[in-house]
Amino acid sequence: MHLRLDALSVLFLCILLPQIVASALAERRGPVTFWVFAAAMVLTLLAGDAFTLIFGFELMSAASWLLVLRGDARPATLYAGIAMFSAACLIPAVFLPASSLAFMLVLLGAGAKAGLAPLHSWLPRAHPAPPAGVSALMSGGMVKVSLYILIRYGFIEFGAAAQPWWGSVLIVAGAASVLIGALRAMLEVELKTMLACSTVEHVGLIAVGLGIALRAKAMGNLDLASLALQGALLCAVAHGLFKPMLFLGAGAVKNATGTTSLDWLGGLMRGMPRLGMLMLVGAAGMAALPLGPGFAPEFLLLHAVIRAAGTGGILARIGFTALLAGLGLSAALALGAVVRLIGIGFLGRPRSLHAAAAEDAKRGTLAGMGLLAVLCVPVALLPGVVLGMLEPVIALLAPNSAPAPLSYAPLSLGILFALTAGAAVLGLRRFAVRGTREVAAWTGGFGSPPAWLPFGDPLTQPSATGFAEPVRRAIARGLLAPKGVDPAEAYLLLPLSKVSLRLTRVAEHIRRSTMRQRLAFVFGALVMFLLALGLGEGG
Amino acid sequence: MNLVYPLAHLMGGVILLCAFSMLSQRRLAAMITLYQVQALTLSAAAFWQGFAQGAGDLYLTGLITLAIKGILLPMGMRQIVQRFNMVRAVETTMPVGLSMILGVGLIGIAVLVVLPTTVSAVSLTREDLAISLSVVLLGLLVMTLRRHAIAQVIGFLSTENGLVLAATGMPGMPFVAELSVALLVLLAFLVIGVFLFRIREHFDTLDLVGIEEIERRGR
Repeated sequence: MHLRLDALSVLFLCILLPQIVASALAERRGPVTFWVFAAAMVLTLLAGDAFTLIFGFELMSAASWLLVLRGDARPATLYAGIAMFSAACLIPAVFLPASSLAFMLVLLGAGAKAGLAPLHSWLPRAHPAPPAGVSALMSGGMVKVSLYILIRYGFIEFGAAAQPWWGSVLIVAGAASVLIGALRAMLEVELKTMLACSTVEHVGLIAVGLGIALRAKAMGNLDLASLALQGALLCAVAHGLFKPMLFLGAGAVKNATGTTSLDWLGGLMRGMPRLGMLMLVGAAGMAALPLGPGFAPEFLLLHAVIRAAGTGGILARIGFTALLAGLGLSAALALGAVVRLIGIGFLGRPRSLHAAAAEDAKRGTLAGMGLLAVLCVPVALLPGVVLGMLEPVIALLAPNSAPAPLSYAPLSLGILFALTAGAAVLGLRRFAVRGTREVAAWTGGFGSPPAWLPFGDPLTQPSATGFAEPVRRAIARGLLAPKGVDPAEAYLLLPLSKVSLRLTRVAEHIRRSTMRQRLAFVFGALVMFLLALGLGEGG
Repeated sequence: MNLVYPLAHLMGGVILLCAFSMLSQRRLAAMITLYQVQALTLSAAAFWQGFAQGAGDLYLTGLITLAIKGILLPMGMRQIVQRFNMVRAVETTMPVGLSMILGVGLIGIAVLVVLPTTVSAVSLTREDLAISLSVVLLGLLVMTLRRHAIAQVIGFLSTENGLVLAATGMPGMPFVAELSVALLVLLAFLVIGVFLFRIREHFDTLDLVGIEEIERRGR
């Protein structure tokens, strides 16, 4: 069992450790399994050979399965299936020589565990099941460990045999995850499920960055590779900070109100002011708002996509341009999801008595979230410093590259801003209403109450479901399967489960056969054998 | 003219004919009679082979066959049929024509397998082997097609007759094997007899359709 510590392991350990501390602070007297889970993740990151890596990874899977099982049995079964599939792909892959087949197996195995489309649909089910601290660690940490394996094998172990199309596959899978994750995050009503969907989105963003880097590196464009790597790794860092924070916050909300359904929350900012402020920081990161931790990585990623659109053939150019549009759409959807999370869940008036009576979270949870929030500050405000610290990792992954320092270009930004502002002013001049006009007073977010509720009611506020309805009608009908089901679930898992059911029925039919039928099976087999023997010998 | 092989073949043919006619018989009494004829022919074949090969132990085989299969077992089965009042029981599982077509196919398979596989062996033994394999397969077919427990037992015993026929036709087959096979059959018959009584006690019939129904409904 060899251990090894290089720049990549150190980076992912640095992502992991604050989460473990924060989760442990929130989950005081956590079960032993939790510590096994955390230790297995650390072991995977420290692994120096393939055996240790697989051992740590499978230990992590098993421990997290037990933790999911404590929460809910049904997603645990699905999760166990995915974990076994991932093991079945990874174990042969890490012992194969560097080849396209080996990389595809690693991509399937690690991607399934990271929640990359089309194998992502287990994630929004399994991640919300365990208690909040574990959810936080699964969403922020376990996913990163899977990505770590993907990076280590894609860039270092199999780096010499890399093909450009490896990166393209990764980009396509990542883009699909980004779109579906962002869309579902906008539509889900359960707070933790919504956060898990957002995790799918961010894993997709990281995968897009890694894919661009892999493709550019295989094509010899090292500058683009380092730029994309900067975006992907910074995104991993930021996501590892704000997502556990949000999950811990969701757990505190559940503790205080007994539900995480946004339709029954509201006005929590009044009862839980400190938690609300911390959630606001995390939400800014999730929405990639400027001055939040999520902005710099997304900016770098978009920059890398724009640069990549200038390379390759016409198909690649069209593809990257479409990817840019897709990323823009999902960024808008993520912003909508965050507005819904804060606006419906924390502002407005309480929609239930429990929400009205909520009290601020326990000190441990607040301390854990606070720790992560403090660590968010340098990522948000000084991304250049963090990128400087990432340099050894990028030198390891893309040797001989010169990562561009992150710097804003104030002049061009100013011109762009001036142009936009000027166009807005012109548009306002041309189309705005002149003079005065009478409209109904804004009701503060309330609809007009029905006749049998003369004094209004908090329930006449728009609900989370209602808030998402326009998006559901405009976009979800085209992108999701009928009835808003995840396409991976409808077109991959459901047919698989049908096939399995049919095979089970056949097996059960054989098992239930009568004595005579069993005799007939054996007899038929004997006759077939004799026939084969006779025909073989005779021919 | 050497009568060894023609007579052996004739008796083998009679045994095969009996096995084949079992497929066409729907009544238990007729099947038992056919089985008795088959066993008697088998014992005659064993005696004849003993005489032709000059092997004393084949006489013993013939005696055992005659005593147990030719006399004791048919008597026992007739008694069972009498006691359970199944003289007029009729089997209705499969059309007779279809089962006979299957039987012809099985004989074809047996010939197809044995003749090319044993090109190097003595030619006359090969045909004996083909006949005995056909008898074995036909017995298995009877076991598979018939639903009545006694009919299945008869199919099983007929299968065993085919094995003994193959053993007697081979020069140099040790006697131990035949003896053990005969004992095995006797034991199996005892077990099946006990089993039949138990079935009768529980279901008041020997038709296995009741058991199949329970198996189908059980889970």
